[in-house]
Amino acid sequence: MKLFQSMAISASSLTAERLRMDLISSNIANINTTRTEDGGPYKKKVAIFQEQLERKINGQNVGSGVKVAAVEEAKTPPKMIYDPGHPDANKDGYVAMPNINIVNEMVDLISTTRAYEANVTVLNASKTMAIKALTIGRG
Amino acid sequence: MQNMFRDVTSQLLTKALDTASMRQRVISNNLANINTPGFKRSYVTFEEELRKTLETNNRVNLNSIQKIEPQINKDNSTSMRLDGNNVDMDQEMVDLAMNSINYNTAVQQLNKKLGMLRYVISEGRR
Repeated sequence: MKLFQSMAISASSLTAERLRMDLISSNIANINTTRTEDGGPYKKKVAIFQEQLERKINGQNVGSGVKVAAVEEAKTPPKMIYDPGHPDANKDGYVAMPNINIVNEMVDLISTTRAYEANVTVLNASKTMAIKALTIGRG
Repeated sequence: MQNMFRDVTSQLLTKALDTASMRQRVISNNLANINTPGFKRSYVTFEEELRKTLETNNRVNLNSIQKIEPQINKDNSTSMRLDGNNVDMDQEMVDLAMNSINYNTAVQQLNKKLGMLRYVISEGRR
């Protein structure tokens, strides 16, 4: 049934946006992390979104939501801060700090929240329509 | 005996419900992909086609109505953001509200139609 499919589409986006939100939390939490398992400072994580395609209704191409194709590390170089007393400083006295810009993260946080809210609204509208369809032929 | 549900009103309302649920799916997909780079929005066309059919035929004809199917089109012409995505959240939310109202209208009309049939079946006794 098409209305349940639209609910599934909204749900796929809620999952994806929540994962993006988790990555933003992780980025902000690790803004001062200079040691990781791979060595070097923490690197900003980015979720790569991809449209899910599905060929179904009379050969017409209908999308079936969004999926997170990959979680990748941002390509920007680490920020070099001069702090000779830091245990992780190199021989010139510079410390490699994570490539995270707090302003960018806050903006991403807002856009993620708005996208999440929009999808919740769509989900509720689909639900109301499905419940309305149950009243056909009643009374 | 003619099938009592195969009249023009019921067929049109069924088409309207089909269109509304397909449109709901397309709007869901557009809003689900609001942060997908390069995504282009889709939209459903049905009403234009229906109007053309009604204008060309003087009498509303069951076969010509049944031939009209809602179509999904992709809007490749515009771009909202630098990443090539062209989903306008405000536009989609307005479409969503309109679509819900359309769906509820069609359901209510269908209920009235069925209520009239029920009234006849019970010989007007209610």
